[in-house]
Amino acid sequence: MLVELRGIEKHFGGIRALRNGNLSVQAGEIHLLMGENGAGKSTLMKILAGMIAPDAGQILFKGEPISFRKPVEASAVGIAMVHQESLLAPHLTVAENIFLGREPKSRFGIVDRKRMMASAKALLEEHQFPLDAERLVETLSPAGKQLVEICRAIQHGSSVLIFDEPTSSLSNAETDAVFRIVLRLRERGMGVIYITHRLEELRSIGDRVTVLRDGQTVHTGDLSGLTTAQLIQHMVGRDVHATFHRNSVTPGAELLRVENLSRTPLLRDINFSVRAGEIVGIAGLIGAGRTELCRCLFGLDPINSGRIFIAGNETRMRSPRHAVQAGMALVPEDRQRAGLAKMLPINQNITMAALDRVSRFGLLNHAEERRLGSQQAAQLRIKLSSINQLAGRLSGGNQQKVVIAKWLVRGARVFLFDEPTRGIDVGAKAEVFETMSQLARDGAGLVMVSSELPELLQMADRILVMRQGRLVGELPGRTTQEEIMYLAAGSSEVSR
Amino acid sequence: MIQKLLPFLTLIALFAGLSIASPSFLTTSNLSSVIRQTAVIDIMALGMTVIIIAGGIDLSVGSVMALAGLLGCMVVNREVSIPLGMFAGILAGLACGFINGLATTQLRINPFIVTLGTLGIFRGVALILSNGLPVNVSVPSFQYVAQGNLLGIPFVLWILLICAAAIHVLLEHTRLGRHAFAIGSNPEAALYAGINVSRVTTAAYMIGGAMTGLAGMIGASRLMAGQPTAGQGYELQAIAAVVIGGGSLRGGEGSVVGTLVGAFIMGLLSNGSDLLGISPYVQQAIIGAIIVFAVWVDELRKRRVA
Repeated sequence: MLVELRGIEKHFGGIRALRNGNLSVQAGEIHLLMGENGAGKSTLMKILAGMIAPDAGQILFKGEPISFRKPVEASAVGIAMVHQESLLAPHLTVAENIFLGREPKSRFGIVDRKRMMASAKALLEEHQFPLDAERLVETLSPAGKQLVEICRAIQHGSSVLIFDEPTSSLSNAETDAVFRIVLRLRERGMGVIYITHRLEELRSIGDRVTVLRDGQTVHTGDLSGLTTAQLIQHMVGRDVHATFHRNSVTPGAELLRVENLSRTPLLRDINFSVRAGEIVGIAGLIGAGRTELCRCLFGLDPINSGRIFIAGNETRMRSPRHAVQAGMALVPEDRQRAGLAKMLPINQNITMAALDRVSRFGLLNHAEERRLGSQQAAQLRIKLSSINQLAGRLSGGNQQKVVIAKWLVRGARVFLFDEPTRGIDVGAKAEVFETMSQLARDGAGLVMVSSELPELLQMADRILVMRQGRLVGELPGRTTQEEIMYLAAGSSEVSR
Repeated sequence: MIQKLLPFLTLIALFAGLSIASPSFLTTSNLSSVIRQTAVIDIMALGMTVIIIAGGIDLSVGSVMALAGLLGCMVVNREVSIPLGMFAGILAGLACGFINGLATTQLRINPFIVTLGTLGIFRGVALILSNGLPVNVSVPSFQYVAQGNLLGIPFVLWILLICAAAIHVLLEHTRLGRHAFAIGSNPEAALYAGINVSRVTTAAYMIGGAMTGLAGMIGASRLMAGQPTAGQGYELQAIAAVVIGGGSLRGGEGSVVGTLVGAFIMGLLSNGSDLLGISPYVQQAIIGAIIVFAVWVDELRKRRVA
């Protein structure tokens, strides 16, 4: 065994994050670590990486008991972590970030920038990462930042590498690139621990799997003998349908029409419409302009030309306020940053966009607000201890439901969902989808941007494919991943 | 929970301790003099609470106080009307707040920098208008504002209570207040929710300015003069009161009760040191240490949410 965690326990205040965490990783294997959000995966890995200290339990490294007080001590023996959230210095270049803390020095102790840049370029080329070593990290997409994180970790020359959902923000092509790297690392005899939510990713790379539930290791074993249904059952401890099939409804009147919308050079000549009861999927690679389209529709960015009609009326989206007043709602890609006020109670998040519903003459009716908030929370099955609980204390899936509840209270008719399942677990995912289906049944029009093609295929009535700022095709909901990829990547890139 | 109550408990302990340590502490004359001395900072801090909750900061309040007090005194002298003068002072503060809010939201400059600039500008304007000299008030009854009693209670206490109630209602029971919390907690989420972030932010600075203008008139009444050099360093005391009372400089947190507790803690420390013969130099160091301690306790609480 390369590394072993035995009977790890950890409490945060009164909350027990881990009660019996066990994990053993061999050299030259890819070990998947699975579990719902809040199962304790990240906590267990942070303990292994020396970021937090366990309350009880043992860590064995190559058979020897070992304990870390700081991340530096873990990386000194060769344990490194690629983080879920970006821990990069945004104002430095890609190369500077990769070598942060271990910059190549010239004779007089001065950073050898030429050598650093050259090494960074060589590293990026070796792994075929589409990144410019001289670019500032702040100008990169979330996917780009993730790639820098990965470079930084593999550059250290570690023997155990922990990936915390490395592909949750990546497009399919980039995911493949990550997998190639992971496989190469395995060949070199490294132990790779890989935290993931994406069931469909598993088969292609995993050797063994450990499943955590409620802070306990509930299963460890070879991946080959395990069906997906069994895995999900281990994770949730109850029966959940792995795939949830949406029943389409007959579309009604047109709710959103976009004509010749352009924001050069990001978006060019976009035309489409969404009818009541429809879920229109938007697929495309990272950088194809999907998020930019949502931002323009919601008034966050100005457009150069084109017209937007809401329920037949032309609407100028000069700010999100205009979009909200016109009945539009955006569930943003980055919910922590843009969707949720973490330090405010759940209740106040839910009513944030619709205070006129709970106030008269500018005065708030707190009782009415609580009633409305509780009603929405119950309807969306938000798991909470109290409606006055701070929104930041909820799990990712429940946070997402709070964001959706905000728009339900507002009575929005046109919903833009940008990566609605990013970073939420299987059970919550199904519930978010159920909520979206219910919205469609109730006559709303939905736009769903997603990098998860199986999810688009499952939910969308039609799928629009974007490439380099243009809409390059429309496919029926019952199309295939191959069809979408063919359009999204362009034929030349697929054949490469 | 204990961390949230800590400012409260500190205030009670301080009050009890001083009552025992000094026989002259728990007397009507001492307590009303504490109120009269601290009312200016208290009222300023109430305005600062709104600004800080909305995610802003106002370093210019000391200068605004001087400018508003000066202009108000000029009007009192010219019109021989105290209400008109008070109104003018408040209006001047409101206008200064409007300028701060506009610069922050329209020029999109960090409020720390904007108000650092207006701190200089407003002070400069006050000095230019007055030629650097105090404007003495020639209407004797003006001193009632700071020195008078109404129903046996200092008049400034009535003003303070009314302001506190008004700001409390504004923050907890109006849409404007809730929007301020939302903006301070996460400006981007507030924008996405369709809140008019610029307007609400500007309104917060204007409320802060109006409160400061009122504080300026009370200060002027104490001295019976509009002093162009009044209020220097008051911005830090006002900010300290908000922070000790649980307000967060990251925005989205704070309360009227907390701010008043914070202001009273500082007021009692100062009064108690005087009564016990502790040097004002030591006082400053103690208050500084308390600010750091209060913020640290608050950080401990917040780390568990983030």
